[in-house]
Amino acid sequence: MLLGRVNRTLTSALCVLCFSACVQAVPPDLLAALETIDQDMIALRAPETAPEEYRAFVRQWIALKSRAEFDDDVIRWPWETSELENELRGLYLRGERTVSQLHDRQASRQRTAQSKVASIEDRFHHMTSQVASIDGRIVLGERVVQTDLLVKQARTFFEQKDYQRAIQVADEANQALMNQASLLTQELGRYADGERIASWQAMAQQTIDWSRRHQSSAIVVSKAERELTLYKNGRKVLSYPVRLGFNGIREKQFQGDGATPEGRYRVTDKRGPGQTQFYRAFVLDYPNAEDRRRFDLAKKTGQIAPGKGIGGLIEIHGVENQFTEQTLGCVMLDNPNMATLFESVPVGTPITIVGALTGQNAVALALSQLTNHNNREEI
Amino acid sequence: MQSRVFLVPITLAIVMTAGCADPPTQQIQEAEKALKEAQESGASTYSPDEYAKLEGTLDTIRKEVSEQDGKFALFRDYGKAQQLSISAKSESERIQVATAQKKEEGKAAAMQAQQVAEEAVRAAQQLVAKAPVGKDRAAVEAIKNDVEGLQSLLKQVQDSIDKQDYPAAQTQAKAIHDMSQGVQTEIQNALAKVGRGKPPLSRRQ
Repeated sequence: MLLGRVNRTLTSALCVLCFSACVQAVPPDLLAALETIDQDMIALRAPETAPEEYRAFVRQWIALKSRAEFDDDVIRWPWETSELENELRGLYLRGERTVSQLHDRQASRQRTAQSKVASIEDRFHHMTSQVASIDGRIVLGERVVQTDLLVKQARTFFEQKDYQRAIQVADEANQALMNQASLLTQELGRYADGERIASWQAMAQQTIDWSRRHQSSAIVVSKAERELTLYKNGRKVLSYPVRLGFNGIREKQFQGDGATPEGRYRVTDKRGPGQTQFYRAFVLDYPNAEDRRRFDLAKKTGQIAPGKGIGGLIEIHGVENQFTEQTLGCVMLDNPNMATLFESVPVGTPITIVGALTGQNAVALALSQLTNHNNREEI
Repeated sequence: MQSRVFLVPITLAIVMTAGCADPPTQQIQEAEKALKEAQESGASTYSPDEYAKLEGTLDTIRKEVSEQDGKFALFRDYGKAQQLSISAKSESERIQVATAQKKEEGKAAAMQAQQVAEEAVRAAQQLVAKAPVGKDRAAVEAIKNDVEGLQSLLKQVQDSIDKQDYPAAQTQAKAIHDMSQGVQTEIQNALAKVGRGKPPLSRRQ
């Protein structure tokens, strides 16, 4: 009886000893630390920006967590090593390393995005101001707002800390800017073309020579410099600034394109007060034979749509009033200058309109600056 | 003694039943189907972390089944795989609902931004109709050009909404709104300067 009681006591004591000596296989703080690693990765947008790395971490994390949750290897003797704990610790170390790498990558991506977005904004503003300075905005059509949209989108994505998309959209904006520069060069490259400038110089010189030979007046208008020069007897008498059509920098192609024609013309009519809505005006013989030949050829080759007309009534004129200073392809002067010119120029006076008279003209310089700026700032 | 003999077939029956444990194929298939549906609902885009965890759970289930399959029949226990499959299925369904909600929220926000942008473009168009043909005709034409451009940019917003790229739609709409307001300010300044006169344009050229 006594022996039985002793046995029971000893057995109970052994059991208590055994159970108290057992330890949990996974310290709860290790699981909590891994949860934190997971949250850190999510905060660093690893699932979107580093999906492979995140997936690899999560696969192991889920597998080990389920082992812990389903009591696999949960209780062990103190002298036993816990395989599960070791694996969790290994995953924690790898996770910590990944978080650190992601953090570095995120910081680097932020710097890249910041630099790209700032650069594209700078280049866009530079291009906008250069294009505005040569009235070339119309040449670019809707491309300007399209690029502006991309630039603004890149900034918004950056502010939302979506650096990857900010970089992607900034790259698209960069490409759009390159296309714009290329289009401008294609459309306005003639202002930087030596042969074309030489031909314009020759046209202007012939007009000046005509003025000298005939002891008469002649006018030369340079579109790039926005300048009208009056010659008398082959000598320069005065120069006035002018405004052109809203698309004046381009070569005139058809009616309503807002471009100012280039060529040799004559004053066919002078319109004084009551005869023009634009203060005073010289009517030019546009379109002349050369303009018609060019127009017909462009139509034949499909460069101009069949329904388009060649236009007409190109004038050198003053300003109607302060609300309506406008021109759709003419050459416009301020009224006091127009008054002086009106007195000095008779009907029949030759007027030569050229793109530019020097290689260093405003359009060529703007194009060159755009190209240089693009090359320097290219991202 | 007689009662002990009676226990033998019961014990054998229990052992046999346990020994014939089958993998929870149906539950696993249901969990896989739910995961596929979650993926199709856009969970990998809208809840990428939760979706990755679901993939991890399915991976664990497959490994667990394979591990149990490798054991001697009497020791196989698919309980863990079964429980994980059930929880993966319900988690997939929860994520699908959450994803649908996030998508709806994104869509609603994008559509609201789109509406605000459309109104701003409309206001700019109305103002452009009143724009003075003032000192700088080229600038006015450029403004008109910009407003036409803004109108066509609205299509891009719709395209992004159609593609369910709501963050892009929102940023595009915001940019269009800002640009439209810029244009409106430009025109309003011009109107304030020169009044509201706009002459007829009847000439050729």
